[in-house]
Amino acid sequence: MNAICLAVLLGLHSCGLSQESVVADAPGYPRWVGDIAADETLDDPEFVLCLGEDQVKQYFNFGNGLQYTGEQHAILTAFREQYQPVPLAQSGMIRIRFIVNCRGDTGRFRIIASDNHYQPMAFDRRITDQLLEITRSLDGWKIQSDGEIAKDYYQYLLFKIENGALKEVLP
Amino acid sequence: MKLIYLSALLLLPALLSAQPNCEYFKYIGDTLRYQACLKSEEIAGHYQFSREFQETLDEAIAIDPGFDYPYRAKSVAYLKSGDFIHWKKLMDQAVAANPTNNLAYRGWCRYQFFRDYTGAIQDIELLDSLINYDIGYSQNGNYHLHVARALCYKSLGQAEKARSIILDQLALPDYAPGIYDYLHLGVLHLELGDYQLARQAFDQQAQQNDLAENQYYLAQALYQLGDLAGGQQSLQTARKMYLAKQCMFDPYMQPTDKIYLADIENALTEVAAKEKE
Repeated sequence: MNAICLAVLLGLHSCGLSQESVVADAPGYPRWVGDIAADETLDDPEFVLCLGEDQVKQYFNFGNGLQYTGEQHAILTAFREQYQPVPLAQSGMIRIRFIVNCRGDTGRFRIIASDNHYQPMAFDRRITDQLLEITRSLDGWKIQSDGEIAKDYYQYLLFKIENGALKEVLP
Repeated sequence: MKLIYLSALLLLPALLSAQPNCEYFKYIGDTLRYQACLKSEEIAGHYQFSREFQETLDEAIAIDPGFDYPYRAKSVAYLKSGDFIHWKKLMDQAVAANPTNNLAYRGWCRYQFFRDYTGAIQDIELLDSLINYDIGYSQNGNYHLHVARALCYKSLGQAEKARSIILDQLALPDYAPGIYDYLHLGVLHLELGDYQLARQAFDQQAQQNDLAENQYYLAQALYQLGDLAGGQQSLQTARKMYLAKQCMFDPYMQPTDKIYLADIENALTEVAAKEKE
């Protein structure tokens, strides 16, 4: 889109998680909308794609919906048990998008966030750090295949936040 | 009946998102829109996430910025990748250009992808106020938009209103119930403590499209009605159906009232524990 592209560059945290978003004009489109380029300042160098940058699918391309051991129930349980509400008047949506590679490993985590009117906003790091940390700890992503070949794919989790509390986890 | 459901599932999305007929614009003498429409047709064969797809639609917008279709077509990749910011911006432009053609889609997507219950209700109710014909169905064909609206009200804590909307919709003489309508109605009855009505709704759902979810919630109603054996049997049926993939499914999102295998297993464990007491 020649318009605006939401780039995410939130700096490195002490725990190594990326955070903070910046809206910037993009000169053009990537191969596919939402492609996440590797960034050595943000990403785990040990995370590698199996089939190359131009072969990364979307999670729904396989027609199976979200694929996680224990299903969405396990993801919801992880956030329910681990996320601690932050007493702040901050509400809206946070999306963390990442890649699951052909071995089920995850990397290239990126955040976008908005208020409840879809306007970009930066949430307090006590909120986003927790969400990132829990998301990065999820290790049940299933390997998805196109035919017999295991593929790398984009996955995202979307969080609905209400006054610092986690209300819903999507998709 | 199942054939009707299948047809709706397969055809509605295609109809709702169809490329406009460019010749119509030529016929009415709107040359600019005709040219923009022809440019939009060049997306054929390109993946909706691709650079080529997006750039072609940008060119169509440059020709006629008032043409809603390119904005909406561009928005889909952002929707499916969870980029609510860019998606909403594009869909706002589509709605501004042609409200009656896009409010249903924007409203449905706000519910389906972002659980923006308030926004979805606003869009669907605004559409309803603008037209004098049926507001239609969700993009995936699974829900009449009034039923989707009801589910939004339920999620906002207004179960009575939600139930009333669904009952009104089901009472319409020409309305063919959606594939999950009676399931959602039954869950609403259940939540409101009307267990006999819940059981009846689940029985109706079972007749037209039985699901693991239906048996799971039926079990809850039966337990409340004191039928412990029936409840146990329904839970076992729910488990079998779930393992056979006879359950709610959406490739993009988890449907409202969906359950997981763990929910069934936990319920079975609870029942077993109570039997030992």
